Amino acid sequence: MIDLQERFSERKNFFNRLVLVYILFGILFGFVIYNTYSLQVSSFSDYEIAALKNKSREILVQPKRGIIYDRNGKILVNNEPSYNLIFKPSQVTNLDELINEINIFIPLNEKDISLINKNFKKAASLNRELTLKQNLSQEEISKFEVRRHKYENVFIAERFSRKNVYPDLFSHSIGYVGILEGDALEQKLSNQSIKPKETIFNYSSGFIEGKTGIESIYDDNLRGKFGKRIYEVDASGKLLNLLNEIPPVNGDDIKTSLDIESQKAAYEAIQSRRGAIVAVDLSSGAIVTYLSSPSFSTNQMANGLSNEEFQALITNENKPFFDRAVQGRYSPASTIKPAIGLFGLENKIIDWDYTIDDPGFFVLPEDNRIYRGWKKGGHGNINLNDAIIESSNTFFFSLAYQSDIDNLRDHLFKFGFGRNICADCFLPDTGLLPSPEWKMNTHNFGWFKGDTVNMGVGQGYLSATPIQLAYYAAMLANKGKVNKFSFVQDFYGSEKDIFNLENVDEVDWNKLHSSMIGVIDNPKGTAGRLRALKDYKIAAKSGTVELVSTDTKEDYKIIRETEGNRDHAIIIAFGPMPNPKYAVSVVIENGESGGSVAGPVAIAVMNALIEND
Amino acid sequence: MIRKFLNLFRNGVYFDQYLFISITLLSLMGLVFLFSASQGNIETTIKQSFFVLFGLILMFAVSQPDPDFYKNNSLLFFLISVLLVVITLLTGKEINGAKRWLDLGFFTLQTSEIIKITLPVFLASYLFDKSLPISFKNTIVSLILIFFIVNLVRIQPDLGTSLVILIAGLYILFLAGLSWRFIGVSAGLFTLSLPYIWNNFLEPFQKQRILTLFDPNSDPYGSGWNITQSKIAIGSGGFTGKGYQQGSQAHLDFLPETETDFIFSVIAEEFGFFGVCVLLGIFFFILLRCLYLALNARDRFCRLTIGGLSLLFLSTVFINLSMVVGIIPVVGMPLPFISKGGSSLLSFYIAFGIIISMATHKKLMRR
Repeated sequence: MIDLQERFSERKNFFNRLVLVYILFGILFGFVIYNTYSLQVSSFSDYEIAALKNKSREILVQPKRGIIYDRNGKILVNNEPSYNLIFKPSQVTNLDELINEINIFIPLNEKDISLINKNFKKAASLNRELTLKQNLSQEEISKFEVRRHKYENVFIAERFSRKNVYPDLFSHSIGYVGILEGDALEQKLSNQSIKPKETIFNYSSGFIEGKTGIESIYDDNLRGKFGKRIYEVDASGKLLNLLNEIPPVNGDDIKTSLDIESQKAAYEAIQSRRGAIVAVDLSSGAIVTYLSSPSFSTNQMANGLSNEEFQALITNENKPFFDRAVQGRYSPASTIKPAIGLFGLENKIIDWDYTIDDPGFFVLPEDNRIYRGWKKGGHGNINLNDAIIESSNTFFFSLAYQSDIDNLRDHLFKFGFGRNICADCFLPDTGLLPSPEWKMNTHNFGWFKGDTVNMGVGQGYLSATPIQLAYYAAMLANKGKVNKFSFVQDFYGSEKDIFNLENVDEVDWNKLHSSMIGVIDNPKGTAGRLRALKDYKIAAKSGTVELVSTDTKEDYKIIRETEGNRDHAIIIAFGPMPNPKYAVSVVIENGESGGSVAGPVAIAVMNALIEND
Repeated sequence: MIRKFLNLFRNGVYFDQYLFISITLLSLMGLVFLFSASQGNIETTIKQSFFVLFGLILMFAVSQPDPDFYKNNSLLFFLISVLLVVITLLTGKEINGAKRWLDLGFFTLQTSEIIKITLPVFLASYLFDKSLPISFKNTIVSLILIFFIVNLVRIQPDLGTSLVILIAGLYILFLAGLSWRFIGVSAGLFTLSLPYIWNNFLEPFQKQRILTLFDPNSDPYGSGWNITQSKIAIGSGGFTGKGYQQGSQAHLDFLPETETDFIFSVIAEEFGFFGVCVLLGIFFFILLRCLYLALNARDRFCRLTIGGLSLLFLSTVFINLSMVVGIIPVVGMPLPFISKGGSSLLSFYIAFGIIISMATHKKLMRR
């Protein structure tokens, strides 16, 4: 038993200790309250945002791409709706089982299944959807509907696919769309200050972008703006209700200058041979016909191609993906002669009365090297007019021989050689307009006079793309002024390219035109066979590109056994004369004769254009 | 029989209106909060109201016997509760890998909640007549007892409750006059043995919780989820709160365990800092009343018991609050009188019943 004294001290001791603990806890509670205060008052806005972020989920809504029209307002590329069977990989655990079950009542095709297997994991991780089958028939839809209770995660919805109404006609001009992913996707979306995230798709293929042609060049216009839907979600991510919606803005429709009828004519005329055709409206520089052959189906490219199909396309030796119209380099050959003639007039080296004697070859005075013409025995005494009509090489060899290469180069540059003359072409090549510096740098050889002589007949190093040839033709037709070429004039229609020739007047131009009309209409013209194909006048100049140089016709017969050795056929033309509306260029690889092989194709296109005006 | 029962009230009823009113108020507020925290589950709320009603009656009943009754029978109560804990360990109902509950048919009893009360009372009855400072022998006996019980509960495993039992036992020892020298030495030893405890006594998930505390953002969707979401709930409540049943964190399932451990987060989200202050005000009132009662208790046993039990209450509130605001790791710990619960809720009504008994039965003091 403890005594009173001790009891008193015990009580005091207890008092002290209890109060001590209370004070200790008071401090601790102060800390708790301080923490609560800082959460609720000091950092309130941070946490308010965090709570808001928690409970709301932003989902992108894909816009529809703009429609692409031809120059008459006919649809070229559209968004085609179809009913698709879709599932969300993130909600499916056993993919094989799902596919097998569905396959029983809706037969899926191998290609789709292999695509699904390939993309399953990725789509699951990104919470994207995958398409089990596109274009369901009415019967398939009802077959699924009666069983839909068994498949919570599979649904039927309307999705679009990008559809070119003429898939093989506009392969290169309009191009195709493809799936956009990875860094490119982030990049594209960041332009709209959004990030790739869950999206309600309009297209079966998900995020898409124009990969080539107009679809690529005008991707920003065609794409439109993503919309947003903000949903209230719970912790499991279930969408509860729509809080806010910003609807997507569909892409702008684009009216191109392309013309279906002439395109069809070009396609039919070229018959899948390797080559290219470009035709333009002279008043605006608008590209109306644009074909690189052989072509391929853009719809297949846009909406899924099996590996085999894709391999077949890229290993095809005719290179269907290669856009010959803006990327193929060809020597202009004899088509260059009108430009050289103009150079002679401009620099007063020749006039219309100037003649030379053409023995069928030209001898370079410096080293006695012989440059041959195409006609054995030559054209005799010949002036500029006849030299163009009959395509005398000797006349132009001799004229080029008297030309300064730097001046000649400037002259040709103004005609569009060696530069990009198209405002909205996809990956255009500039061809090659050689200069002495260029030759030194690439071949480590100085410029010979012979190089200039060769250039006089469009052979040698000089090369141009078919669209450059069309531009050159347009420049000739319009007497030195042309609008920069374009597919879509709403953006680039007004940019004019003017070539002022001081010593060439209207009379000279008209004479030149009539010489070029003579190429077809004169009995001696190189493209006389075209006369019967039209009922109006066309100015033209044909060319034949020698790939292997031969001295005699017998030699050529031997080398032409190999198709790839045969000459390229080439022609430029404009008409109807005397007030030309269209210019056209045609290149047919290994076609041998510019006049009789490329010529009919050019006439077919020209006819289609003029008839439909 | 009836007369004998009425004899109990011959000297009137023993009743502390301050504690009674504040606890009743807290309980009623708890029901309101729970209704929201349970997503408006009327069944849960009704069940809880029965517990509250029963708890208040129990508190009243427990406060009637004389403190001597608890002093004399504390060993018996203690042994019974140890037995219950042991039975639980052997035959208990396993939920989520933990054996904490004894299925009584009408009620699943969490036996550790009983020993939480009986241990401090028993220790008080053991130490109240020991001279000051507590001898080394008595200290060791008490400590062995405490650690034995703590370990019994820990292996269930129930880290939260075992922690509370540990500190409740230590409070009694401390209040009873544990020598400062002993405190100093053992605190030093404890600090040194921390790495050993970390490596040998903590389950991996418990370690993870502690680690998470220091950097909740390291794994916001894993073990940091609870703390992160709780902080967002509290923080987004702001000063005035989002309004009753308007808490998005609570109602869209972002917040875990809204009915039990994290009910404070729901309150903070819906009633804001203002609501938090009102709630804490009531808690502080109860605690200060307990302090007053302890200091004016009739004898040492009553003092120790009131002190120990009130600190038990204080610690529980503190652990719960500091857990939900992210100061300490997540341990299962309800907010007394507010969180949904059976045993844990009733244990505090019993504790306060005992406190009221200790405080209201006066003895004439010799002067």
